[in-house]
Amino acid sequence: MGSRGANVLLSRASRIKTKLQSVLEAKLLEVEDVSYQHAGHAAVKDNANETHFNVKVVSGKFDGQNLVKRHRMVYDALADELESGLHAISIVAKTPKEAGLD
Amino acid sequence: MAKALSSMFFKSLQSTRTSASSVSGPFVQYGMRFSTGVPSDPDTHDDFKPTNKLENSDITLKDIVEQDVKENHVMIYMKGDPEQPRCGFSSLAVRVLSEYRVPIHSRNILEDPELKNAVKAYSMWPTFPQIFINGEFIGGSDIILNMHQASFCIFALLILG
Repeated sequence: MGSRGANVLLSRASRIKTKLQSVLEAKLLEVEDVSYQHAGHAAVKDNANETHFNVKVVSGKFDGQNLVKRHRMVYDALADELESGLHAISIVAKTPKEAGLD
Repeated sequence: MAKALSSMFFKSLQSTRTSASSVSGPFVQYGMRFSTGVPSDPDTHDDFKPTNKLENSDITLKDIVEQDVKENHVMIYMKGDPEQPRCGFSSLAVRVLSEYRVPIHSRNILEDPELKNAVKAYSMWPTFPQIFINGEFIGGSDIILNMHQASFCIFALLILG
């Protein structure tokens, strides 16, 4: 059947975690699917499935980067997801020092 | 021609301070879509009559975005409008910005997919709302809230500019 079968079997949350982990070398990574909170949303239409996530990332790669740059790094890592139904992510992006992990 | 397009542009731009008009939805003219602001205003009737503007039409959506952000100190591209947001993040952004009691200019990107894409390309940011202050892209609702809570003085200086 589909050649992308293996990837699709994983949940979006799993794919997000994998991508962020590899791109950002996260020390801490929390991904939560909150799509149910947006089920009546204008843009969600029929499928309130895996559309909205809360993401918390702690990574040394955020050192010296302002919030816009940090969020762009996260968005860039998730570009494929954003093109395939991921509508929005609430991002918390901290350095290890800011997160008290140092 | 430029004046006619400019007046259409200004009519469609919403301001929370003075806006009592409702947006009646996009109309299409020669492939370019604009939201109409005041359809029953007799002064604008001529603008809506079909004319052969295309050969002189150099205004692109990118131009409109540039104009939006440069001419309005606080500019938000959002889902819905400030009186009636259609998304929790857009609603949050408007509420934060409203705390500063400055005029907020907005466009509803739900009405116009081409405008939505033009804004995304301009800011290189994939989601909405998008807030621009003093011509500069500031971020989405997360960032606005963070600046309001954590960097209030700096944010206030920026907004009150």
